[in-house]
Amino acid sequence: MDDIVRDYLPILIFLSLAIGLGIVLILAAVIVAVRNPDPEKVSAYECGFNAFDDARMKFDVRFYLVSILFIIFDLEIAMLFPWAVSFQYLGDTGFWSMMVFLGVLTIGFAYEWKKGALEWE
Amino acid sequence: MATIILFAPLLGALIGGLGWRVIGEPAAQWITTGLLFLAAILSWVIFLTLGPETEHIQILRWIESGSLSTDWAIRLDRLTSIMLVVITTVSALVHLYSFGYMGHDENFGEGEGSEYKARFFAYLSFFTFAMLCLVTADNLVQMFFGWEGVGLASYLLIGFYYKKPSANAAAIKAFVVNRIGDFGFALGIFALYLLTDSIRFDDIFAATPELAQTSIRFLWTDWNAAELTAFLLFIGAMGKSAQFFLHTWLPDAMEGPTPVSALIHAATMVTAGVFLVCRFSPLMEFAPYTQTFIVIIGATTAFFAATVGLVQNDIKRVIAYSTCSQLGYMFVAAGVGVYSVAMFHLLTHAFFKAMLFLGAGSVIHAMHHEQDMRNYGGLKDKIPLTFWAMLIGTLAITGVGIPLTHYGFAGFLSKDAIIESAFAGGTNAASFAFWALVIAAAMTSFYSWRLMFMTFWGEARGDMHAHGHAHESPRSMLAPLGVLAVGSVLAGMIWVGPFFGDHAEVEEFFGIPHAEGAEAHAGLGGPELMFGAALAATEAEGDDHGDKAAVDPENLPVQPGEGAIYMHPSNHTLDDAHHAPKWVKVSPFIAMLLGFGIALSMYMRGVPVLAKLGLGALGAVVLFVAKVPLALAILGGVVLAAIFLLTRFGMNETLAANQAPLYRFFLNKWYFDEIYDATFVRGAKWLGRFLWKKGDGMVIDGTINGVAMEIVPFFTRLAGRAQSGYMFHYAAAMVLGIVIFITWMTLWGGQ
Amino acid sequence: MTNADIQTVLPEVLLAAYAMLALMFGVYTTKDKVAPLLVWVTSAVLAVLGLWILTGGGGDVAAFGGMIVNDAFARFAKVVILFSAAAVLLMSEGYMAKRGLLRFEYPLLVALAVVGMMVMVSAGDLMALYMGLELQSLALYVVAALRRDSVKSTEAGLKYFVLGALSSGLLLYGASLVYGFAGTTLFTGIIAAVGEGQAPLGLLFGLVFVIAGMAFKVSAAPFHMWTPDVYEGSPTPVTAFFATAPKMAAMGLFARVVHDAFGGVVGDWQQIVAFLAVASMFLGGIAAIGQRNIKRLMAYSSISHMGFALMGLAAGTAFGVQAMLVYMAIYVTMNIGVFAFILAMERDGAPVVRIDELGGYSKREPLRALAMLVLLFSLAGVPPLVGFFGKFYVLRAAMDAGMTWLAIAAVIAAVINAFYYLRIVFLMYFGEDAEAMDSGISPVLWGFLMASAAIMVVGIINLFGVEAIAATAAAALVN
Repeated sequence: MDDIVRDYLPILIFLSLAIGLGIVLILAAVIVAVRNPDPEKVSAYECGFNAFDDARMKFDVRFYLVSILFIIFDLEIAMLFPWAVSFQYLGDTGFWSMMVFLGVLTIGFAYEWKKGALEWE
Repeated sequence: MATIILFAPLLGALIGGLGWRVIGEPAAQWITTGLLFLAAILSWVIFLTLGPETEHIQILRWIESGSLSTDWAIRLDRLTSIMLVVITTVSALVHLYSFGYMGHDENFGEGEGSEYKARFFAYLSFFTFAMLCLVTADNLVQMFFGWEGVGLASYLLIGFYYKKPSANAAAIKAFVVNRIGDFGFALGIFALYLLTDSIRFDDIFAATPELAQTSIRFLWTDWNAAELTAFLLFIGAMGKSAQFFLHTWLPDAMEGPTPVSALIHAATMVTAGVFLVCRFSPLMEFAPYTQTFIVIIGATTAFFAATVGLVQNDIKRVIAYSTCSQLGYMFVAAGVGVYSVAMFHLLTHAFFKAMLFLGAGSVIHAMHHEQDMRNYGGLKDKIPLTFWAMLIGTLAITGVGIPLTHYGFAGFLSKDAIIESAFAGGTNAASFAFWALVIAAAMTSFYSWRLMFMTFWGEARGDMHAHGHAHESPRSMLAPLGVLAVGSVLAGMIWVGPFFGDHAEVEEFFGIPHAEGAEAHAGLGGPELMFGAALAATEAEGDDHGDKAAVDPENLPVQPGEGAIYMHPSNHTLDDAHHAPKWVKVSPFIAMLLGFGIALSMYMRGVPVLAKLGLGALGAVVLFVAKVPLALAILGGVVLAAIFLLTRFGMNETLAANQAPLYRFFLNKWYFDEIYDATFVRGAKWLGRFLWKKGDGMVIDGTINGVAMEIVPFFTRLAGRAQSGYMFHYAAAMVLGIVIFITWMTLWGGQ
Repeated sequence: MTNADIQTVLPEVLLAAYAMLALMFGVYTTKDKVAPLLVWVTSAVLAVLGLWILTGGGGDVAAFGGMIVNDAFARFAKVVILFSAAAVLLMSEGYMAKRGLLRFEYPLLVALAVVGMMVMVSAGDLMALYMGLELQSLALYVVAALRRDSVKSTEAGLKYFVLGALSSGLLLYGASLVYGFAGTTLFTGIIAAVGEGQAPLGLLFGLVFVIAGMAFKVSAAPFHMWTPDVYEGSPTPVTAFFATAPKMAAMGLFARVVHDAFGGVVGDWQQIVAFLAVASMFLGGIAAIGQRNIKRLMAYSSISHMGFALMGLAAGTAFGVQAMLVYMAIYVTMNIGVFAFILAMERDGAPVVRIDELGGYSKREPLRALAMLVLLFSLAGVPPLVGFFGKFYVLRAAMDAGMTWLAIAAVIAAVINAFYYLRIVFLMYFGEDAEAMDSGISPVLWGFLMASAAIMVVGIINLFGVEAIAATAAAALVN
């Protein structure tokens, strides 16, 4: 078990560094920055006029769709990259596994294309 | 044949009870009655042709459970055959009688629900079936089935007039009081099964010598096994036979229709206790203390019931107490060890008591359901046939006969036999029983004649309208009276030998294998035997138990259970009874004379002085014949005559006024009902009400209702509120679950 | 990767391949017009696969290095899943078509969910477990929200999705803890790391989280909260589906994990499972009493039934697993019948869900009311119906394992549960007459209703031999 924990030590270090840095930066802003608020400073600055409505506005569902599709293919790339790098070690099994994966993905892509999910209007 | 006898009444009950709507009421009545007559005829055939061997007729395999294995079988021996005859004959006659008696009944109105006849006949037949089950039983459980069956039938029939609250109360009372006895009986069965690992009579009887030397732990201490089981069984017998302390239900049972009283509460069911004791004679013979107890209870009952009977005014109650009293006689006989005599009295009593009841029913029928004797009088000429029947019954119950011979009415022979046996019993208890029975005999004579005089002689009293319409009963009611009258006259004379003859005759009749030792005893006589009896008496007073138990089971001349009844080799009471002094033998006659004379003087206007003197003289003669010294005999006669002369007409009222406390004591049945009411009934009712209101109502119902209507709905609402619809609530619940599990694991996991 | 491995997972592969092909077929032809055809074909495929697995037999085979296990236990669960899914799919056609919900994706989503379930019950590895679980869940999220224009349906889908994601997170966290302490995700490796009796606390924490995740899937209290809302909001056929196949799959997975991976520390998870069981039985029963909506009522009913099934599992013995399998098989059969009845509850073509509307139902539809009566009695566990034997089995399992308190609690809970079932019976037979419902019923629904009721009666003879099969299955799981 110790071996495994040792393998994960870099991640732990990275995590603690990230958290530590974040805290340091925030605290630094709090401590170091000069604060001298006046009405002009804190009033809205959006091209000179107030915000029209709440920032938590509804987005068109199509944005979600696009982002989800993006994530899927993003993941595909994330899968493909290590696969491609270590391709020489993988053999037939590795090759066909990825082919099946790509095939499934393709079917999904074909489906949403035909369904019209990619058409904006 | 026995199977037919057993199941004919059941068939009748089923057809009559369930099928009368199809076949109609009259047909149902005829079928039940016809089947009963068939059974009666077959019973007589069996009775007259019975061989010495005990027969076992298997009907079906009944219970197979572990070591408990038993058949449903008929045990056919002399005891059974006697009971068969009694039950089926009386039952058949009562069925016939009921045609007339139950012909019209204003307790059930017109129209829907007014058909009661088929139901009545079905109940009667069912009762007969249950009673037959009881007496033909081959094992205890079968007997218990019959025992409870008759209890049920009795309950149904006492409460037959279910629209009358008093009838319902009486039915419940009978049922509850019987439960006490049944509880003892059931305990006895359990104990016997525990001890012998069998419920078959044969096995139990064979084991009785062993039981006498076994002890068993029960309640707080050790008991002799034979004594305990015999005692428990006798408790059952006490309940069923309405013996002292458990007698209170019998008079109330008179709420039932009169034929029912005749059948169940005079001739058959109430004698089941006597039958039980006789059936278990092999066990009783090894339980001397229980026998003593039986004698005391029997004698007390005979005496007590007679005192109460003296002052009752309801015609049926007089006879009911008379029944109670006569049952006491039977138990005394059984208790002193002469089971044959107990059965003898059972047989004769069935005849004359059934007839008295049916006669009383006939009177009641004639008088339009008037039962108070104070409203009778002078009915002799209006209902002559009934009068003659009642007269014969009275002669039989009071024991009229020629002293020192075997000629007399049925009661004369059997009752005298009991009194002699009680004298011969030799123990203190038996002596007490002897005197109690003699006094009871006088009282029996008194109240029986009082009944006769008040009913049939004198001037008419009460509602003149009823008297005007008094009429003789239909033939269907008179025919049974005639048959029973014949029995009442002859039964004693015919069977005195087999029941109360010498040892050999009795043994042959009851199928007991001949034993050398017993015969030797029978051959002995005179002073030697008197000496033997005295010896036995001293032994009994000393260590009776040890004497009987000391007999080696291997060397018993007769093995228990081989005959219908069993008499221990050391049991000489039967022989001793034959050799009782003559004054003992005439004592019941004198007592009868005394009772008759007093009743005559008290209830008959203008009895000639000469007649009273004559009665006194008769007493003197009888005493003289009985070898009482002449002077004493004359003195006795003078005393009798003096008593009769001093007793005047109408003195009963003066007596009742002068002796008011005693009179009320008797009239209120020694306040037994009041005492029981104050102690048991109210206590039980209070307990019942407490358990009902507080225990059942508040605790049980309250808990169930509380859980079902308060707590569960509360949680239901809670669950509903938790199901708020907000996702963060749901997530919180999940996290809460995780927290609980983690905590659990931290504290108790990984052990 | 060898042919043997492929051979082992052939049913799953075929079903997945079929689903994708059918998807292509549907989307490139007439779309929703082929939906009825696809429903029937999918049902047929599911049923055929079920028959194949049922009759195929085969021993205890591990594929892909132990990641997938095909043993008698998995086969038992798969057969139940496949048949119940096929049945529910058939029943849903009429209802969905009438309400314009019959899209061609629906049967295919069900098929894909079934693939996920089959992987779940065959999982021999935490990864495979998670794969199967997510494949199933994602498909179910979508079908829960199938009626997109209904607020309730979308709400149901959303709730299910969010809470499902939470439970998946818990499960994943637990899995990573287990991996951290055991050093492997293979069940065979975990059970070796756990050892006999004395496991490190971290591993047990991991187990707790995994159990929590699975408890969510079987909807055991206190992880049940999604169930009533999702049951109510989803279209009724989907509800019927939720109540049957996924429950079997989740229970199978549950049994698989606790026995295959943590069989060495029975004493540790036993208490937790027993707690889940008791909480579910009581909460399901008590909450159902307050329900007037029959779909919500069935949700609580299924929570309570899961409690009883978990009781078998809590026994921690082979007999306990057998009892659980028998119980689940009976439960699924009963629920198919009950939902066939509910699907037929319509007035003027609109679905009726309030139980008060059943007043006087027996007078108008005596046969259907009788069948429902039998089913409800069976659900309540009234002897001598088959439902009683299910309860009897799990009770005996608990008793045999020495958990008397659990058995007593279960009996009390069974009494509480009987109440609301009997109330429906009461309403049907003695309730005030409600407005008459449509008397028509599709032959499919009628057939399933009657068959299910008949099984409840006829099955008492020998439970159709399920007992013996379940015994074999349990023996394969618990050594």
